[in-house]
Amino acid sequence: MNGSSFVPAPDALPLPAPEPLLRFLLLLTFLLHLLAMNGLLGGTLLALWSRLRARAPDDLHGALAARIGRLLPTLFAGTITFGVAPLLFLQALYGRWFLTSSVLMGWPWLAIVPLVTLAYGGAYLESFRRGRLGRLRTPLLAAVSLLLLTVALIYTHNATLMLRPGAWAAAYFARPGGGSLNFGDPQVVPRWLHMVLGAAAVAGLLVAWWGGALRRRDPAAGAFMRAHGLTVLGAVTMANFLIGMWFLIALPRPVMLGFMGGSGHATGLLGAGLVLALALIALAMRARGRPDASLRPVTAVALLTLIVMVLMRDYVRAAALAAAGEPAAAAVRTQGLNIALFALLLVGAALTVWWMVRALARGAGD
Amino acid sequence: MGGGVLIAAIAILHVFISHFAVGGGLWLVLTERIARRRNDHALLAAVRQHSRFFLLVTLVLGAVTGVGIWFTIGLVSPAAVSALIHAFLWGWAIEWTFFVVEIAAALVYWYGWDRLDRRAHETVGWIYFAAAWASLFVINGIVSFMLTPGSWLETGQFWDGFFNPTFWPSVAVRTALAIGQAGLLTLVTATAAPRSPDRARLVRYNAVWVLAAVAAGSLAGLWYRGAFPGWSDATLGAIPVLPVVARWLVFGVAAMGLLALWPLLLPSRWHWSGAALLVAAGLLVFGAGEWVREAGRKPFVINGYLYSTGLRLADEPALAADGALAHTRWVSPAARAAGGAALGRELYGQHCQTCHTRNGYNGLRPWLAAWDGATLRGLLPRLHHLRGRMPAWHGNADETEALALYLESLRPAAAAAIEPPERARRRAWDVSCGLCHTVVGYRPLQGALQGMAPGDLDALLDTVNEMNEAMPPYRGDAAQRARLLEFLGEIAARPAPAAAAATGGAAP
Repeated sequence: MNGSSFVPAPDALPLPAPEPLLRFLLLLTFLLHLLAMNGLLGGTLLALWSRLRARAPDDLHGALAARIGRLLPTLFAGTITFGVAPLLFLQALYGRWFLTSSVLMGWPWLAIVPLVTLAYGGAYLESFRRGRLGRLRTPLLAAVSLLLLTVALIYTHNATLMLRPGAWAAAYFARPGGGSLNFGDPQVVPRWLHMVLGAAAVAGLLVAWWGGALRRRDPAAGAFMRAHGLTVLGAVTMANFLIGMWFLIALPRPVMLGFMGGSGHATGLLGAGLVLALALIALAMRARGRPDASLRPVTAVALLTLIVMVLMRDYVRAAALAAAGEPAAAAVRTQGLNIALFALLLVGAALTVWWMVRALARGAGD
Repeated sequence: MGGGVLIAAIAILHVFISHFAVGGGLWLVLTERIARRRNDHALLAAVRQHSRFFLLVTLVLGAVTGVGIWFTIGLVSPAAVSALIHAFLWGWAIEWTFFVVEIAAALVYWYGWDRLDRRAHETVGWIYFAAAWASLFVINGIVSFMLTPGSWLETGQFWDGFFNPTFWPSVAVRTALAIGQAGLLTLVTATAAPRSPDRARLVRYNAVWVLAAVAAGSLAGLWYRGAFPGWSDATLGAIPVLPVVARWLVFGVAAMGLLALWPLLLPSRWHWSGAALLVAAGLLVFGAGEWVREAGRKPFVINGYLYSTGLRLADEPALAADGALAHTRWVSPAARAAGGAALGRELYGQHCQTCHTRNGYNGLRPWLAAWDGATLRGLLPRLHHLRGRMPAWHGNADETEALALYLESLRPAAAAAIEPPERARRRAWDVSCGLCHTVVGYRPLQGALQGMAPGDLDALLDTVNEMNEAMPPYRGDAAQRARLLEFLGEIAARPAPAAAAATGGAAP
């Protein structure tokens, strides 16, 4: 039996919007989720690193760990909130694959819920009860890091298992009750590492910005955070360059060949990604050496790199599903009024949030 | 554990918290306003203290269990997720814009206690409540759609499904519940404060919120009951679990109202034990309330459109023509080749397991223990006639045989425990006539059996299948038959039933 026959038929109900619009919204909201997630996961890892290196709770590393720790609950809220929308658009476009691989995973997939709850609780403990935690602070941060890394690994399993309908039958009949993972896929480990290191790099950039903004009030801490953040950004991106190569060669052959000239779109993205990554390393090192240089160029390149990475990830998904011989054929009945309503409310939401955050920021000095 | 139980566990926790997230927002901003107007520092301090608890509970548990429901229904009912997302994608997307505002406002409200001036802080509080309630409004459209899709079934139009027959009563019920949750959970956090006149005032104030919600919610509940599809049939026994759960709901609401009299009348004696009981009553109200709603749409997950098994109503003719196997994914090639019980096990997994476990929730073993192979084979083609509402089984002869063989293999080997005679008679009824009929209620038999002599009843059992297609032949063994005849004899000897009970209307 051909494995791909296990892919459910397209839903009998039509898609309520043209596919390109949904795909754009998927990628846009995923980018927002990625930014928040990078702050959270990368920030937690950076906080743990600094706490391990701190000689005293109030030295530069200790203070940095505490600063990030205070922010973790907000980053958590942002990650979850911005995660809901891409999950929605993903299910609309790719539900046939994603829901099936979720069912094949079963308990490990559902485990994300308690794991995230525990990590969230840990983040609040770190943020609100720091003073009372004493020696438990470091193990707590390590536990939160471990939980988040595990959640990331589970996500990687699902994001890759959904692309392998040919492997589903064997996985299901080996474990009909769920519990299938995707370790048989060579891209799982490098993909997970690539994401985790990318998160640490972005968190490094955020720390650098924070340090820059802090220099007036606390010159020592500000200068340290700026330099430390840029070091993390540069060094981790260098390592990630190599992991990225590993990820590339671990991709299924037809997908990898797309990046190697088979597809102009994919090859262009890979080329842009390589150039941007090298530029990111160079700009990070350069800014680190010049304490007064603006961080805007390195940030712009980092953002572009993230966008290219999101587009490459999207290509991997589309190419893998195309290689599995499953076109995403679905009828469309556009709900124009609802799309307009959504767009209007989205703008309204953005303005409202902007107003509230600005009011809070203005009141910060009072 | 069945998938339904898993959904229920996460869903009850989520609705408990998410209604608190709505009503608690109103409580915070209104109480802050009152405190500031009266220059009541103690009350303002209590609001601030409570806002931290609120932030933790709603953001952590509320958001995570909300996503948890997505994860769970994706596993238990992927077809339902797919259908709901296709039909209501923009509903979810619109709700997400409110969710973003809600989360941001919750954080700004908490971090803004010292940073925002009074007006800005209260404005953020109102923004929070407006966004949270709007989120309830949108989700309510989709959740109530699943029970009463209304004219959407014909038109497929978003707004026809959204503003469905139970939409408005359901909004009213949920808004009342949200207000109740605000009072209920502030009564919980109040127990942490040291006893003082300030605390007593706060406790009495919160009790008013709960009592107002109980009153408003009860009225809204009656409105909701009026819009509930087939309420009288369902509570007369068409859905056996529903009258039971409906009683729990009424009990939970009454308990909530009575318990809230304690903080109202004796606020200085308010104690954590009362708070614990109140939380238990609240959980009962939410658990039973959501269960009523879900039981009411049996055997569908989207009423009149999609069965809980993932099969669409519109797909039934194809199944009836081709058999079940042709429309069943995930049948192992080995089982397909082997046939028999091995194949039956696969069919069971796809067509029965969504709702039934072997031993646990909706477990089949206790029923199978009472049925011989012939009874089982007589029942399978008639499942859609049973009380409790099941989808029809569309297997062809070979598939039915395979499923029956597998079900027979589940039958417990050990003999059933000795039961008291009265319970044994009742069981003999439950596993035969009681599958489709009640004594007095839905498809009642008391009237038809009244005055029949034992000999007539005995003869009736031999010929029941001749009455109509829906009736299978009776095949209980000699002992079961004797007990059933005793039970039927008792019914036949009873005086005539009240007309109202037999024709519907009043809940038993």
